[in-house]
Amino acid sequence: MTELSKELRSAIERLETGKELDEVGVILRVGDGVAWIHGLRKAGYSEVLQIETPEGIVEAFALNLLEDEIGAVLLGSDSAVKAGQTVRLKGEVLTVPVGPELLGRVVDALGRPIDGGAPIKTKTRGAVEREAIGVMGRKSVHEPLMTGIAAIDAMFPIGRGQRELIIGDRQTGKTALTIDTMINQAKQNTGVINVYVAIGQKRSKVARLVERLKQEGVLEQTIIVATSPADPASLLYIAPYAATAMGEYFRDNSGHALMIYDDLTKHAVAYRQMSLLLRRPPGREAYPGDVFYLHSRLLERSAKLSDELGGGSLTALPIIETQAGDISAYIPTNVISITDGQIFLETDLFYQGIRPAISAGLSVSRVGGAAQTSAVKSVSGNLKLGLSQFRELASFAQFGSDLDASTKSQIDRGQRLTELLKQPQYQPLSVWEQVASIMAITAGYFDTVAPAKIKDAQAALLTRLSTDHKKDMAELDKGAKPSEEIQKTIETTALAVAKGFKD
Amino acid sequence: MARRLSRRSVARYAGDQLLAGVAVGEIMTLLAAYLVTEKQTKHAGLIIRDIEEYVAERGHVGATVTSAFALSEETLSELRKYIAEHTQATDISLHNEVDEKVLGGVKISLPGKELDQTIATQLTALKTRFKKA
Repeated sequence: MTELSKELRSAIERLETGKELDEVGVILRVGDGVAWIHGLRKAGYSEVLQIETPEGIVEAFALNLLEDEIGAVLLGSDSAVKAGQTVRLKGEVLTVPVGPELLGRVVDALGRPIDGGAPIKTKTRGAVEREAIGVMGRKSVHEPLMTGIAAIDAMFPIGRGQRELIIGDRQTGKTALTIDTMINQAKQNTGVINVYVAIGQKRSKVARLVERLKQEGVLEQTIIVATSPADPASLLYIAPYAATAMGEYFRDNSGHALMIYDDLTKHAVAYRQMSLLLRRPPGREAYPGDVFYLHSRLLERSAKLSDELGGGSLTALPIIETQAGDISAYIPTNVISITDGQIFLETDLFYQGIRPAISAGLSVSRVGGAAQTSAVKSVSGNLKLGLSQFRELASFAQFGSDLDASTKSQIDRGQRLTELLKQPQYQPLSVWEQVASIMAITAGYFDTVAPAKIKDAQAALLTRLSTDHKKDMAELDKGAKPSEEIQKTIETTALAVAKGFKD
Repeated sequence: MARRLSRRSVARYAGDQLLAGVAVGEIMTLLAAYLVTEKQTKHAGLIIRDIEEYVAERGHVGATVTSAFALSEETLSELRKYIAEHTQATDISLHNEVDEKVLGGVKISLPGKELDQTIATQLTALKTRFKKA
């Protein structure tokens, strides 16, 4: 009781008692989460408005500034908002709490806790809409961001500060890839902070994710910004911007953060809904004209900062859901052109049991090569090309025609590689595990092992290396190119393991 | 077809006429004719608000002070001084409205501007703050 009265007293003291005149307007009409307001001539784009209702103050932000009226999107329920109510200009743009206090918490798009925990009291707030860092404040991407997924780290490496799109149909493992990446940050102690944004995702899915992250011990270095399909479109729209503000705090304080936007297709749909209700002219697929800018300004905030600015980074893994594998639809092509590469997940591969179902031919990482760990780079040379060629050749092989020796060996190697790159969920691999596994295939040490036994052989190899050559593997894990001695160790061990799995 | 004038342009025209000393009745007749011709009569209230705002920006302010009890002449004169300071108005007409619902304090309403220092509003703000927390 004493605590409560103290809270109440301090809240009264905090109340605004400014003696300046406020700019006010009046609600003309309201509906579908959009309010049209008369007055407020000084309102700026994206400025916060406060609507006085009998049930309290409902916030909104101005999006359409017309000569005679303003179109504003409500940040709460519109049930208490009625025509004739007074609207006040808050005089500031939308901000959200930012800082380490948010780690381990699940918040909504406005930074309010939704995990049933204590109120979040941060020292600072960050602007939801913020201009991206300029050219001179940036540095080229050069540090690796290990996902722990061998197929990605070897063929499509991601660097800190990069934007790598994850694209594919529904149920192809897009979210699973990002969860593994988050887990890997904790397992490898990379110090990267994860910020996961659920845009219009089912609450049950978010609950499962939180539970899994807790089990894996990753939640403590993760912030989850969750919006559900039951939330107003305005919250879905601001969620990725608000989460980016939270990630930027770490970037600007010489830290490293990883943003996961799950997914931008739903974000574009929420923006389309708002735009149509605001009577903006519809364009292709009924999206408004500025839907490209919607995502480009968001993803441009991901950056690797220069040393003068502390050298922090913000990496982005946006997710896009395609329909029947069509990557040439409006939103997918937009985001493909904005990002620095894409990882395309194929439904066919997924149902063939090749998981992660990464398409070697359609995936690419445009800037990550410079950031790839030397150790992985030294063994993954033409892995991507080899795998793409194998998948082409494999289609011929199924006709059972006679093949020449070199084609046959390429197919055999491809089959083993495909088996090796299959990776169970929640089991990211460290650098040395990836190097040893890939080397065993590409150097031909496992050529005598049947494709069906490759995973068992890999497990045996990794167990033997970690028990018998712990020091060497710890050295290899640092990321430098493996010394001849280490290469020899891997060769000997792999050949010994292969003997046990001979056809 | 001629482009429809914005409400603000109509208000600007009417405001300029008022400030130039044209009789109010004459301006209102013109305005009424325009609204009827353009089938804009439902916007009459908004145009009046726009005219008030336009005229207020040029120093002629019509203000309403709402309080739970009738204010003394002395308080009203203080409020007049406050409005003059904050709006640079030269001509202020002040009207005191008594409304028990505000519980205490005052609310000064000017065209497009407001200072709400009533207890009722403070309580609403408090309610919202606690709801958020």
